[in-house]
Amino acid sequence: MRTVRIPVNRSRTLPLLLVAPALLTVLALFVYPLGFSLVTAFQAKDGQWTVANFFRAFEFYGTDIAFTVVIVALSTVLIGGLAVAIGGYLTLGECGPAVAALRWIYRWPLFIPFVVAAQCMRTFLAKNGIMNNGLVAAGILTPEQTVGFLDWRGIVITFVWKQLPFVALLVAGAMAALDRTTIEAARNLGAGRLRILIEIVVPQVRPTLMVGLILSFVTMMSVLSVPIMVSGESPTMITVDMAFRINNYGDYGTANALGFISYALTGLAAWVYLKRGLAQGGTP
Amino acid sequence: MIRLKHLMAGAAPAALAAALALAPAPAGAQKVTLNVATAGDQNMVDYVKDFLAPMFEKDNPNVTVKAVGTGPGDAGSQKIVEKLDAQKANAAWDVDVAVVHQKMAGDMVKAGLLASYTKDVASGKLTTSQTAKNALGQNVEGYVIPMFQSQTAIAYNPAMVKNPPKTFKDLEAWVKANPKKFGHNGIKGGMSGVAFVVGWVYANAPGADKLMTGPYDKAVEDAWKPAFASLKEFNKNVVITPGNAGTLDMLNRGEIVMGPVWVDMFYTWQADGKLPPTMKLALIGPGMPGQPMYYVIPAKAANMAAAKKFVELATSPKVQAEGIVKKFNWYPGIDAQHVKSQLDEKTWNKLFIDVTPQDLQTKGKPFPIKPYFDAILQGYEKNVMN
Repeated sequence: MRTVRIPVNRSRTLPLLLVAPALLTVLALFVYPLGFSLVTAFQAKDGQWTVANFFRAFEFYGTDIAFTVVIVALSTVLIGGLAVAIGGYLTLGECGPAVAALRWIYRWPLFIPFVVAAQCMRTFLAKNGIMNNGLVAAGILTPEQTVGFLDWRGIVITFVWKQLPFVALLVAGAMAALDRTTIEAARNLGAGRLRILIEIVVPQVRPTLMVGLILSFVTMMSVLSVPIMVSGESPTMITVDMAFRINNYGDYGTANALGFISYALTGLAAWVYLKRGLAQGGTP
Repeated sequence: MIRLKHLMAGAAPAALAAALALAPAPAGAQKVTLNVATAGDQNMVDYVKDFLAPMFEKDNPNVTVKAVGTGPGDAGSQKIVEKLDAQKANAAWDVDVAVVHQKMAGDMVKAGLLASYTKDVASGKLTTSQTAKNALGQNVEGYVIPMFQSQTAIAYNPAMVKNPPKTFKDLEAWVKANPKKFGHNGIKGGMSGVAFVVGWVYANAPGADKLMTGPYDKAVEDAWKPAFASLKEFNKNVVITPGNAGTLDMLNRGEIVMGPVWVDMFYTWQADGKLPPTMKLALIGPGMPGQPMYYVIPAKAANMAAAKKFVELATSPKVQAEGIVKKFNWYPGIDAQHVKSQLDEKTWNKLFIDVTPQDLQTKGKPFPIKPYFDAILQGYEKNVMN
C-alpha cells in the first residue's frame, strides 16, 4: 500500500514540474512581451494613459494599414487557389512523370528564408532584372515593353512563392489521405477532373486548407524583410512603419499601436474562421 | 546584502571609480576581451574584425577583440543605446568601445551613457572639426572622435545625362523633362533617401541654416509646407527605390540614370565592379547632408584602459589613411591634413575627383538638429507620403 501511495503524492507536483519549463518559456517569451506591448500601445512616452498612439497610427499609416490587409488577403487567396491546383494535380494527375516532377519541385521554396527570397526577387523582378532580360533575350518582349515589379506586386509574388509550398504540402497530404472511392465513384459517373477537384476533393480537405491559409496569413502579416527589400515606400506594409517608428523616433508607443492593429487583424481572421468552423459542426 | 551593495554602487559616482579601478588589468598578466559594438552595415563590422582587431591584438597580446555588429542605420545605434541603458545599474558594462551614428551620440551623452575620454587619447588633439564637438545640436566635445565622415551626393550616368544638375532647382526641372529616370529611396529604406529629403528641405525651406544650428522653434515647421508640396509633385515623376543598395542596383541596371547615394558606397561598388566605371557624382547645391560615425566609450566600460588604447590606434593618422581612406573610400574622421601626409597623391585625389574639397566645404552639410530632423521625417510621412 505504501508503495502505491508515494507515487500518488508525487503526482500532484510532478506534472506541474514537468510542465513548468515549457510554461515559463511561453510566459516569459510570449505572454509577457505580448502583454507589455498591448499595454504600452496605450501609454504616452511619460507613462500616461492615452489613445493618441492609435490616432497617430491611423493618421500617418491609415493607407499602409489598408494596403497591408489588401496585400496579405490577396496573397492568401492566390496561395489557396494555387495550393489546391498543385494538390489537385498531384492527386488526380494522370501523367506520371509530370506528377513526379511537380512533387519533387514544388517544396523547394519552403526551405528558403524570407530574406533570401526577397533578395532573389529584387534582382529577378526588376525592370532590367533576370526575368525581363530572359524574356527580352527570348524575343517575347522588347526592352521598351518591360515593366519592373518592385512594388506591391513584387511583395505579392514573393509571398505567394514563399508560402505556397507550405500550404500545398498540407493540402496535398490531406488529399492523399482521402478515401479514393469517392473520387473513383465520381469518375465512374463521368465527372471531369476539374469537377471532381472542386466538388468532391476540395470540400473534404477544406479544414486543412483553412488551417494552412490562416497560418500563412499570420506569417505574412509579420514579415518585415520582404516589403523593405522588394518595394519602395509608398504605400508599404505596417511592419516597415513599426520598424521606422522605433528606429527613427524611438517611439515604441505608435509602433505598439500598429502592432495592436496587426494582432486585431490576425485575431479577426482567426475568429471568422473559428466561427465558420463551429457553425459547420464544431470541427474547426 | 550583496544586491544592496551593487545597487548602491550603481547609483553613485563611486561606481565609475570602482569600474576604473577594476578595468586596467595589469598589462600582460590578465586576458582581456575587448567588446567592440558597431552600428552600421556589414562592412563596418568587417573593418573592425578583419582590419583593426588583428592590428590591435598584435600590439596587445593579452587582449582579444570581439567585434559585434548591431545592424545598419540608426536602428543599430538604437540597439547599443538600449543595451547600455539596460545595464545602467551594473558596476561594469560589457561594451568597451562602440561605433554609433551622429543622431544617437547626443542622446547618449545627455543620458550619461558615455565616458569623456578624448583628452586621454593622442588623436583627440588631431580632431578639431565641428562634427567632433557638436552632434546635431548637442555638445559632445570630449566624448567622441569621428571614425570617418561620409557624404551623400547625386550619382549619374554621364552617357545619359550630359549636363548634370548643379542645384535642387535644376534637378526639379530635369525630372520634369525626364520622368521616371531619377530614383531615390524615400525615408524608410536607408539614409541616402533621408539625406535627399533633408537636402530638399534645406533647398526649399526658408532659413535652412537654423535647422542645422538651432535653437529649435516649432513655428519654423509651418514654413516647410510648400517644400513638401513641391516634393510630393516631384515624387510623381521619380522611381522610389528599395533602399540605399536599391538605388545603386537600379543605376547599375540602367533602370534609372540618376539618384542620391553615399559617396563611399558608390566608390566601393565601383571598385567591386558592381557599378560601371563611367558613373559620376555631383554634390548639388545648396547642399546635401553627410554624417560622421563616432568612436565612443561607454561610461562604465569594463576595460576602460584597453578601450582608450583601441580608439587611439583606430584614430591614428596611419590607420585612418590605410583603413578609412584607402580601403573604404570614406573621408577621414580626424583632421584631413594629418591623414594626407600618410598617403600618396593618387589615392588621396581619387576621393576628390567628382566631389572637390571645395564642394565639400561649401555644399557638405550636417543633418539638422534632432527635433528638426524628426519633424522633417514626420512632415514627409504626413505631407508627402499620405
